[in-house]
Amino acid sequence: MLKTLIEAFALISTWEVIIAMFAASVYGLVIGSLPGLSATMATALLVPVTFYLSPIAAIATIVAASSMAIFSGDIPGALLRIPGTPASAAYADEAYAMTRKGQAELALGAGVWFSAVGGIAGVLSLMILAPPLAEIALSFSTFEYFWLALLGLMCATLVARSSPVKAIAGMFLGLLVSCIGIENPGGVPRFTFGLTDLFGGIEPIPALVGVFAVAQVMRAMLTPEPPPLPRRKFGSIMAGQWMLTKKYHWQMTRGNIVGIIIGVLPGAGADMAAWVSYAMSKRFSKEPEKFGTGHVEGLVEAGASNNASIASGWVPSLLFGIPGDTIAAIAIGVLYMKGLNPGPTLFTEKASSMYAIYLMFIIANILMIPLGIAMIRIAAYILLAPRSAIMPIIMLCCAVGSFAIGNNMFGVVTVAAFGIIGYVMEANGYPVAAMVLGIVMGTMVEQAFVTSLIKSDGSILPFFERPVAAILAAMAIGALLWPVMVWVWRKVKPVRTGAAATSR
Amino acid sequence: MRLPDSVTGSFLVVLGAASAYGGWLLPPVPGQPVGPNVFPLVIGTGLALCGLAIVFGIGHTFEEAEELIPLEDGQAAAAPPPQGKFYSLRALLPPALLLFYVVAADRLGFIITAAIMVYVTSTALGAKWKLALPLAALSPFAIHLIFGKLLRVPLPAGLLPTPW
Repeated sequence: MLKTLIEAFALISTWEVIIAMFAASVYGLVIGSLPGLSATMATALLVPVTFYLSPIAAIATIVAASSMAIFSGDIPGALLRIPGTPASAAYADEAYAMTRKGQAELALGAGVWFSAVGGIAGVLSLMILAPPLAEIALSFSTFEYFWLALLGLMCATLVARSSPVKAIAGMFLGLLVSCIGIENPGGVPRFTFGLTDLFGGIEPIPALVGVFAVAQVMRAMLTPEPPPLPRRKFGSIMAGQWMLTKKYHWQMTRGNIVGIIIGVLPGAGADMAAWVSYAMSKRFSKEPEKFGTGHVEGLVEAGASNNASIASGWVPSLLFGIPGDTIAAIAIGVLYMKGLNPGPTLFTEKASSMYAIYLMFIIANILMIPLGIAMIRIAAYILLAPRSAIMPIIMLCCAVGSFAIGNNMFGVVTVAAFGIIGYVMEANGYPVAAMVLGIVMGTMVEQAFVTSLIKSDGSILPFFERPVAAILAAMAIGALLWPVMVWVWRKVKPVRTGAAATSR
Repeated sequence: MRLPDSVTGSFLVVLGAASAYGGWLLPPVPGQPVGPNVFPLVIGTGLALCGLAIVFGIGHTFEEAEELIPLEDGQAAAAPPPQGKFYSLRALLPPALLLFYVVAADRLGFIITAAIMVYVTSTALGAKWKLALPLAALSPFAIHLIFGKLLRVPLPAGLLPTPW
């Protein structure tokens, strides 16, 4: 253990890793603070750069950029009432109300401090949860993997804040995209329409860049520019945070735990964690009437929650290759590219790399405090940059980045196509995240499904025979039926209250 | 771009049926009951069923309930933008520019193509020429420096090779 820890330290204490991490932190802070540019987009645009870095430096950039972007989304949320990332949307109003009361320092300071605490709690969960789960996962057969993947996909549709039917349809669309190409059980060209470019299938990364970045530029074309940020002088940002920590330690812990759980659930990410934690904080608060008027309690809990989910989202990603959220979906792509194929054996064969990931998460979250404070102080200047100057650069990065992934122009076509698909889906209430998970997990689901079917000779029964498989199957089917139950319950409830009213 | 559910649902039914049929035509692995045909068949069927459900408005209640959930509405409410007849078509500009890049980059070279892309996007978003022109002149070189020089992505030189 000590030896691997020293090895891990040696891995991360190279100049390449240190510079990559620092640059990615600044990049994440800037992108996250710009309204409309999400943490997922920041990470997706980073992938082409990671191509040219060593494995550890590549992961370092993703870890640093995603953690920082989730925090810095709080900045425009608090100062402008426009969340920089979806993960800050849940409490942007609350933070803005605090700014109007003259407590901008306290709101932003709580953002930095509890984000960092949440991030570190998330890493601890990753360190504690992953190895024992890896032990269990070693005995998994294709049946378990199939149900696990299906459960992941179903979770993604459950937590989507839209119609579950549309979410499932989005997931199927993603799976269908993953069918394209010759990488299938028979090795025959499937849905390629004779185009050689499609033989290799649709790369997940250009698809992600299209869905998250190009679609965002498309939306910007139709929405008015956000107002500029009023310049202001900040007092001490960290003052009072220790007092808040002591006062709201229980809320903070609850936020961390909820964030960790939601992060581990496949498909549910930081934005979901923030919504749930904010609602929970309001529900269990001793002074719920203060919520919405500039009360720091919800900020503490939700801020601790969304950053905790970032690290714990890596648990299923590293163990099974099932992404915990969209950022982890990108990270999985990078892991494969760098020869760190996700799976339980990663923890035994590449233990030092795993420790290096833990260490980088911890360092990124500690680094967040000074960099975050600096960012808050200069945010007014960065937010002066007009959208018409940022979006063109994003477009260029999309074009060059998607070209760089395979050094061919088809990547750019993919980005453009998925930009349109993402835009149309979003506009019509189809959750994009569900499709992304479908694309990323498609090959794995199919492989597990077809191999299981061949093993069972076409019979369905063996899918339920092993105990773990049966439990996972029950959970997956339950997740599928859950919306139906909610629907029935909603139908029954008004009838009952109506009946009660008439009998009275 | 908001289409009625019946349109998107019907599209999904057609797409699902087409992929199920396409999958059905594929040969199985020799000597096995299943192969590359099974998965598209299952997905296509599922997609078509979802499409049907959407056409009939199943699950629509969840969407309406969802629109209430962003309680205090995180986005600052802004005045509705002026709506011309072709206003919504502006959204297609970014993908169109990307396709322009695909077609033109090899002939014109990266710098020129990128400059055109930047200028058009920036102007479309409301920038004056005072901002758009210097941006279009400088940003391609900056991106080329990062991707072409540091990361060694083979960007096409075309008509205007970079000095490095």
